[in-house]
Amino acid sequence: MSKTPRARLDPRGPRFGAGLTAVLLLLVVFMSLTGASAAALALLAAITALFAWGALAGAGRHPYGALFKKFVRPRLAPPTELEDAAPPTFAQGVGLAVTLVGLILGLAGVPGAVGIAAAAAFVAAFLNAVFDYCLGCQIYLLLLRSGVLNRGGRAAQNV
Amino acid sequence: MNSFEAIGLLFALLAATTVLGLVLRARQGRVAHVFGDVITPADVAATVAFGPAATLLQFSTELCARCPGTRRLLRAVAEQRPGVVHVEVDLTNRPDLAKRYAVLQTPTTLILDGAGRVQARVGGAPTRADIGTTLDSIARNTTSSSTLGSSHV
Repeated sequence: MSKTPRARLDPRGPRFGAGLTAVLLLLVVFMSLTGASAAALALLAAITALFAWGALAGAGRHPYGALFKKFVRPRLAPPTELEDAAPPTFAQGVGLAVTLVGLILGLAGVPGAVGIAAAAAFVAAFLNAVFDYCLGCQIYLLLLRSGVLNRGGRAAQNV
Repeated sequence: MNSFEAIGLLFALLAATTVLGLVLRARQGRVAHVFGDVITPADVAATVAFGPAATLLQFSTELCARCPGTRRLLRAVAEQRPGVVHVEVDLTNRPDLAKRYAVLQTPTTLILDGAGRVQARVGGAPTRADIGTTLDSIARNTTSSSTLGSSHV
């Protein structure tokens, strides 16, 4: 493939970031349940912006990644292996899509949209942080299968 | 809604997500024994020959967090066992193969016997021990049927 070599990450970095995201999303759900709609919307907007950062700049350049490198990684043993940055970057894009829909519907005044979108994104972030399960990565295959991501026009790569 | 009710709902969400995570983890890498079709290298656009004893046919995509680890594991297993070959198929450009072999998650590994017939299917990252056990049982079946001198190949 004629792509530039991909960034490689300590796999615990994205999981740490997903943990922070999960806590913030839980807070959004709480605020939207207790009627603090404006605050919920504002926090969801901030989370959406962070997802956009991760999706566009790459999971390796996410602000949470900088926190991880500065405060967490020095306290951990060196990583046993590094992983490709592409799957967590794609997962950030899935998170962006979910929170953006919630944000737009919330701004349009659809009741419950902010809380439901935050809860859905929370499930993915929690599974990533606690169980190391990348829900967004599985969605990639389903998108391929459904033809949403049409890449079938290219010749098959030799494996 | 008051704060108590909201916190109750948050705990329910947390509990449901934890159960989902435990179920997903329990299902990861579980070997399902199936008796499927015969697959040839041409079927999956593979450029290497399948193994005379068994083939570990791994389906991956470009954006799959656990595919590289599974690749390393299956490669190591194949290197240790004579006649076993690891073949990886990237579904990124071949979603039709994902449909044909009903691949709903990556990595998915099909374990083929020496004749190319699907004997087992693993969704998610497998463990070395499970793969070893499955390959052992395929080897046993092959030996027992050949010592019986079965003519139906």
